[in-house]
Amino acid sequence: MKGIFKHIHHLFIPKESNNFRARILHHDFLTIYLVAALMLTAGVSHYQSKQGSILGYATDISVNKLYELTNAQRASSNLQSLSYSDALAQAAQKKAEDMFAKNYWAHYGPAGETPWNFILSSGYQYEFAGENLAKNFLFSDGVVDAWMNSPTHRENLLRPDYTDVGFAIVNGVLNGEETTLVVQMFGKPLYVAQDTAPQQTDTEVAVKEVETEATAPEVIQNPESMEQIAQAAPAQDTKVLASQNQTNFYPVFFNMNLIFFLVLAGALALDFYFASKLNLVQLKGKHVIHFMFIGFITVGLFILANGNIL
Amino acid sequence: MHHFLKSIGKEFKKHAFDYLLFISVGICFLIALNIFRGERLIELILVVSFISFYIIWGIYHHIVENTLHLKVVMEYILIGFTLLFLLKIVILP
Repeated sequence: MKGIFKHIHHLFIPKESNNFRARILHHDFLTIYLVAALMLTAGVSHYQSKQGSILGYATDISVNKLYELTNAQRASSNLQSLSYSDALAQAAQKKAEDMFAKNYWAHYGPAGETPWNFILSSGYQYEFAGENLAKNFLFSDGVVDAWMNSPTHRENLLRPDYTDVGFAIVNGVLNGEETTLVVQMFGKPLYVAQDTAPQQTDTEVAVKEVETEATAPEVIQNPESMEQIAQAAPAQDTKVLASQNQTNFYPVFFNMNLIFFLVLAGALALDFYFASKLNLVQLKGKHVIHFMFIGFITVGLFILANGNIL
Repeated sequence: MHHFLKSIGKEFKKHAFDYLLFISVGICFLIALNIFRGERLIELILVVSFISFYIIWGIYHHIVENTLHLKVVMEYILIGFTLLFLLKIVILP
């Protein structure tokens, strides 16, 4: 036990045995961190090239979690839970694929495609319908939180008229960037007069201004990332989403980064403290600036985990 | 703790411009990241720019202080690039 304590002391506290500098801040250790980060980057790239780009890997977003969080938000507002709809999920999938194929990020396509077209073409006759979009988030919580923080998306998510929801999480290339799109489609089926035309006037709540960036269409579909949906017990009028084949890489990697930043910042603070206490004069970088730099990067990491909503 | 705070205060006073510059650029970096959330290429450019600024800041600061040495430059480069590669995985996996 004493040996371990001594070793930790040697790693973090400047003293004679470590040449009066925390061992984990020595150049050889800093080089090890760099090599490890480089190998991790190369490893991730290699894994993806083996998997065929980023498919099913780039984020930790899952349909299960999105569905669960959406209903949790509605429950906290005393609204009825939404049932999972295959047809809406299919519509969401088609919408996401259309955005990749025609290279746009908007509620309306460049040729005037509306969310309602996708919903109707999936066989869902609606009385009310809505759509929320998100791209490049790392975590499901981030997606739902971002929607809840936006008044228009929040209104959509908490609209009491809706009874069904469907999601699609699709990876592809949008405007030359590897992108993860999340499409959430809401609806209430038109029970009466199924064969009449859908009442599109009731749907505007879901759609905001269009910002079309589309130019030449370019690829990319992702059949692997389609959510798998399993039927639940017939007695319940809901469907349970089967677990997706996703890795836990991102949450683990995110936490590892935070721990690493914390350890590095802690070592810098301790080193600075003892160096100033012992009046040590050393040829080294400015700890204060390293510390601030790590602080900015840590805050940046949290921002990077969040993407864009529409 | 007294030594610690005193040393930080002394350091800030001595190089107020350098530190204020760094803090300002850091805040701008975070604001820009927030504005361009979800735009992966721009996010990467912002991160690379901020890390480059950090290394250049280090070199400039140590030139002014007359303490520039290869060891010092390497320290900034090693820390900067380590964090760059870690963030790169988050931005462009």
